[in-house]
Amino acid sequence: MIKISQLQYKLSGKAILEDIDLSLAEGEFVAIIGPNGAGKSTLVKLIMGLLELQEGRIEIDGLDQTEWLKNHSFGYLPQHEDYDRNFPASVLELVLMGLAGTLPLGARFKKNHRDQALNALNEIGLGHLASKRIGSLSGGEFQRVLLARAIVGQNRYLILDEPEASLDRPSVESFFALLKKLNSAGRTIITISHDLNILSEYCSFLVCLNRRLHCHNHTELVDAQIIHKTFGDSVRIIEKDY
Amino acid sequence: MLSYSFLVNALIGALLSGLSLAIFAPFVTLRKISYMGEALSHIAFAGIALALLTKLPLTLTTLIFVMLIALAIAALARKHKLQESNTISIFLSVSMALGVILISLSRNYSFDLASYLFGNVLLITTGELLGLAILAFLNLAFVLIFYKELFYLTYNAEMSRVFRIRINPVNRIFMLLLAANIVVNLKSAGIILVTAQLILPAVIAFNLASRLPRIIMLSVAVSLVSALLGFYLSFSVNLPTGATIVLCEAFLFFLTLGFKRRY
Repeated sequence: MIKISQLQYKLSGKAILEDIDLSLAEGEFVAIIGPNGAGKSTLVKLIMGLLELQEGRIEIDGLDQTEWLKNHSFGYLPQHEDYDRNFPASVLELVLMGLAGTLPLGARFKKNHRDQALNALNEIGLGHLASKRIGSLSGGEFQRVLLARAIVGQNRYLILDEPEASLDRPSVESFFALLKKLNSAGRTIITISHDLNILSEYCSFLVCLNRRLHCHNHTELVDAQIIHKTFGDSVRIIEKDY
Repeated sequence: MLSYSFLVNALIGALLSGLSLAIFAPFVTLRKISYMGEALSHIAFAGIALALLTKLPLTLTTLIFVMLIALAIAALARKHKLQESNTISIFLSVSMALGVILISLSRNYSFDLASYLFGNVLLITTGELLGLAILAFLNLAFVLIFYKELFYLTYNAEMSRVFRIRINPVNRIFMLLLAANIVVNLKSAGIILVTAQLILPAVIAFNLASRLPRIIMLSVAVSLVSALLGFYLSFSVNLPTGATIVLCEAFLFFLTLGFKRRY
């Protein structure tokens, strides 16, 4: 479980997050929604310890975040990854990055690590690209390889920042189906997304964020009014009867 | 030609210098900090001036000064999220200004700027050869032991931190060794050759190979071949050694452009 208490975060004096109290239970498929600039990426970066806490407290599995991070890490899929297309790395080497932190300083990858990386690639259906250079991949393929890197370490918590950003519609469906499969296998998924249609289909818990928390509850309990309050006038809700 | 011991020393010096810098060249080039080599060699100017003013041992004072600045660059860039290029530029200008003031204060008008720019491999001493050999060994050991961390640090430092890869100590050692390489090679190679040796062998290797271990090996091979060829040509046609080595590398770069691999 991830428990966030009284979290505040400011950047150059401007409040990015205010009074965040939130509990994310293990095994949930959590979606964080909100308009641009709502503090979604800041929140997940604070959870992962990539930004320093200013005020408030984060506990993971009953331990203070700093303590927890000494022995654990998150699986993470960034919205956008800066990389040089000419960088001399193979797809397999990129996926192995997800395991590199579990090895002691200076230790080398062994056959079992390579097998693990290949399994993660096979799981997302890209095993045949293992020896390709990363620069030869399409945007969608690269995003899926980053997912393989995020899942290879068997981390219990998987955090994704707008994974649908570089995928076309059919790929988004299959990508979320894959996430659901990982969730069913016991992983806690926390994803930032703008795609409310997809989220209503796959997610079990919704966090509506716009600097403050507007709601955090199971998806069936989140109504149009809350969504409207989170996004303000920027969203038009069309209700359909199925 | 090799019957003269000073020539043998010079050849060994050129080979060791090429070897140690070429091991680092692919990482420096891929991290896009190739100007760091040039900047640190300019920063060394302030270290030299400080040694002249305080009458402390020249190489040791310069080495400590440049290493401290290299660590400060890495720490400032990380702590204040500054771009490494901007941080390097700040220290470069400040060090050059400091160097000029210290030189003027030391009233040392015999300081030979040309030797600092171009170096002279023929003046290399046996002690300096030993220093170069130790440094080449340290570079090789460092890259072999910490290859995994260096690889991911070079790919993307921020993501390396997410996956808890221990890149910080490795980056500090990398910066210290880079600074040491520059200072130790400055006398024999000079700023211009040091900078060239940190870029050209790697970009030639990138034209020919697509995996990092092979790129490192090719970078070393290119550097050694250029050193041998440049050395031979410089004595056959009576040309400056360092400059001839650089021209040999430039020639190999254009020659291999046609083989450049596309991913």
